[in-house]
Amino acid sequence: MTVFLTLFLGELQRMKKYHILTASILVSFFWIGMLHLIEVPDITAFFMILVFFDIVSMAIVMIGVTIFFEKQEGVLKSLFVAPINRLEFISSKTIANLISNLITIAIVYLYALIVQDININVVGLLLAIILIGTFHSFVGFLIVYRSKGFTEMLIGMMKYFIVFMIPVALEEFGLITGDLFSNILFLLPTKASSTLITATTGGPITGEVILATVYLLIGTLVLAYFVNKGFRKFVIRESGV
Amino acid sequence: MFSIKNLQYRYPNNEEDTIKGIDFEIKTGEIFGLLGPSGVGKSTTQKILTRQLDNFRGEIRYQDKSITEYDKNFYQDIGVGFEMPVHFSKLTAEENLDFFKKLYSSRADTDQMLKRLGLYSDKDKKVGEFSKGMKVRLNFIRALLNNPRMLFLDEPTNGLDPKNARIIKNMIAEFKAEGGTVLLTTHLMNDVEELCDQVAFMADGKIVEINTPKNLKLEYGSRQLKVEYSDNAEVKEANFKLDDLGENQKFLQVIKNNRILTMHSQEMTLDNIFIKITGGS
Repeated sequence: MTVFLTLFLGELQRMKKYHILTASILVSFFWIGMLHLIEVPDITAFFMILVFFDIVSMAIVMIGVTIFFEKQEGVLKSLFVAPINRLEFISSKTIANLISNLITIAIVYLYALIVQDININVVGLLLAIILIGTFHSFVGFLIVYRSKGFTEMLIGMMKYFIVFMIPVALEEFGLITGDLFSNILFLLPTKASSTLITATTGGPITGEVILATVYLLIGTLVLAYFVNKGFRKFVIRESGV
Repeated sequence: MFSIKNLQYRYPNNEEDTIKGIDFEIKTGEIFGLLGPSGVGKSTTQKILTRQLDNFRGEIRYQDKSITEYDKNFYQDIGVGFEMPVHFSKLTAEENLDFFKKLYSSRADTDQMLKRLGLYSDKDKKVGEFSKGMKVRLNFIRALLNNPRMLFLDEPTNGLDPKNARIIKNMIAEFKAEGGTVLLTTHLMNDVEELCDQVAFMADGKIVEINTPKNLKLEYGSRQLKVEYSDNAEVKEANFKLDDLGENQKFLQVIKNNRILTMHSQEMTLDNIFIKITGGS
């Protein structure tokens, strides 16, 4: 078994043992509850908003929580003196995180499919989840790198949600309108994420969708560079300096 | 096995070096003790040698090759035993060991080690339910699970009862007997005296003394014999120089005419040497 596979399967095992997967599934039931309570003729748009909320927030929170557990239990020290390189460490966590994202959304999607025959490009949605989830997992890594404790990490996450998620959500709910506001929102990765998710409900591939995809692809590469670069400093700090 | 020359290290944001130019060598098959009060740079030195810290100045060679030239496979060769718990608390002892074992190409018989350290019957228990002593013993198994050639141990018997401390010390001695090399950091001078071939005392980021425990005791002790004896129901004490003991008439009379209660050569204990060497730092 390769080191990557050991790390990846270890992540999944711990997600189960630490009830992270359970929490993730509970979140999906919460989303289902919301879908059930909303009284609109077509739940597709609302489903897309939930998907957006889930991927963006859970990808960041899950990375933060798993690394925090490992840090709290001293396991990071033990991992950092094992034959693991940074790529294996980062990628195993990111991919395990994506699996968790996919499970949550699959549950909500199945419910939506049962209640209403919603029309979604499933392959497109899968690719969007992978891209958005990877981008935001890397955001999670960077927040963890910059946080000295759990509270600081939560504050970092809250800052991201307030600055990047809420404006996009306000626009999605139609609470704030206007071209200027919409155009400014295109600076945010969360707007690109929302655009990409919405595009999976059908319709032509517009310039906006291409722009959002390119934005997230380049953004993911840029974040990957910083996640990789900051890893060593993080290791030194977590080794007890 | 390890050769350290003029090692210096400064933590980012610090104005002063924590390690201020140290030199020492750890020979293959020896147990090397790194001693000193807290905060003098022992852990930093160990972290540099285990490549948890980089950007050091000076030269460190492992098996005649600079440690900066090694990739992640450096860790296939070494085992690191931590003082604090380093296991997933919601996983069982066996699940923890299985996970870490799969990261290595060489895998030790952990069941045999669990049995020897009295943890086999608890292997299916979550580590979070373990006592402090059980976690220390599990840490020790974690350090050995890849059959390392070089072992870094930080206070391996701290918090253990005498029986389990004895088992761990025996296992360290056996590891050495099989050709293994150990860097031991501890405050327990009994362990040092029993296990170490060489010891280095650190103070203020420097090595202030390196020698064998026996030589240190002779160097820092006085060559005298202290005798406690009973003289007409009165307990008396006398000191005699070791050098001319056989011709010392007073000594010969004391042992001939009195009941000897105790007799001790006056080499210094390692505890006192520790305080004497590092006390000023």
